[in-house]
Amino acid sequence: MNDTTRFVTFPLGEERYALDSSQVKELVMPSRVYAFPHTMRSLEGVLVRRGAVIPVCDLRGAFGHGTERNLYVIARCHYAGRAETVAIPVSGEVELVQGERGEAPENVTFVTGLLRTGGRIIPLLALDQVVAHCIQPGIALAGEAKR
Amino acid sequence: MRDNEARPSFVPRSVTPVAATAGPVILFTAGGVRFAVEASEVEEIRNREERVAIRRLKGAESIDFALQVGLGAGILERFVVLKPGECSLGVSEVERMTILPKVVPLPGLFRGEERRWYRGLLLLENEVVPLVRTEYWRTAARPAREAGSGV
Repeated sequence: MNDTTRFVTFPLGEERYALDSSQVKELVMPSRVYAFPHTMRSLEGVLVRRGAVIPVCDLRGAFGHGTERNLYVIARCHYAGRAETVAIPVSGEVELVQGERGEAPENVTFVTGLLRTGGRIIPLLALDQVVAHCIQPGIALAGEAKR
Repeated sequence: MRDNEARPSFVPRSVTPVAATAGPVILFTAGGVRFAVEASEVEEIRNREERVAIRRLKGAESIDFALQVGLGAGILERFVVLKPGECSLGVSEVERMTILPKVVPLPGLFRGEERRWYRGLLLLENEVVPLVRTEYWRTAARPAREAGSGV
């Protein structure tokens, strides 16, 4: 069954993706990312927002987007069975749109459905899946720990 | 998600109890990064020249802290001896002691060895500083002590 609701859309790599607006907590301008040594691939460090520490997850491993970042999309996801908050750096324009959710095409990774809005079709990002794909623990990464 | 839970390198979240408040902390740098250790967990701080004497006296083994957390071999100028004196963290510099402002747990996305390394993160003067988990580092020093070798 399709439903109509609001979505946040943003570019990742060559494509534009959408998240259900209920999943997005806020959009923040680039601020300092506090890095410390750790072993998780794709986690750059943390942002501090009103006393809360939010991990920054670089999705370039999945989408290969550029280094420039206009905003952080702070969104809720599930990882290892728990609800978490994550900051996703994005470059380009971020929109809040209304649209209709449709089913995802088969054999497309990191997509949970399709958003139809204003004549456009935008894939809905499977944030849980892509975060789990991008961040993996590994001892080998200790040698590349971020400063 | 189930795949991730099964990964052996994941560290269970149960090892990360974080106190809402604690006493003062000692700030130190290792590998160019600032860390904190609870002052109540520290027996003494010695310089490089005194290290050999400490080891002779107490058998304390030293860990190159920067190397252990993946920052490469550090310049070991100071040795933070953890209570009860059997292990010390070799660090570049001991900066100062400060009152612990707030400890927040490591976000759940950090699921690797860092959960053993740190008790949590300190929000300190517009900075985020990992608070080391001393019980882990005491354990980490044990193999070197048993083998009769250290830093």
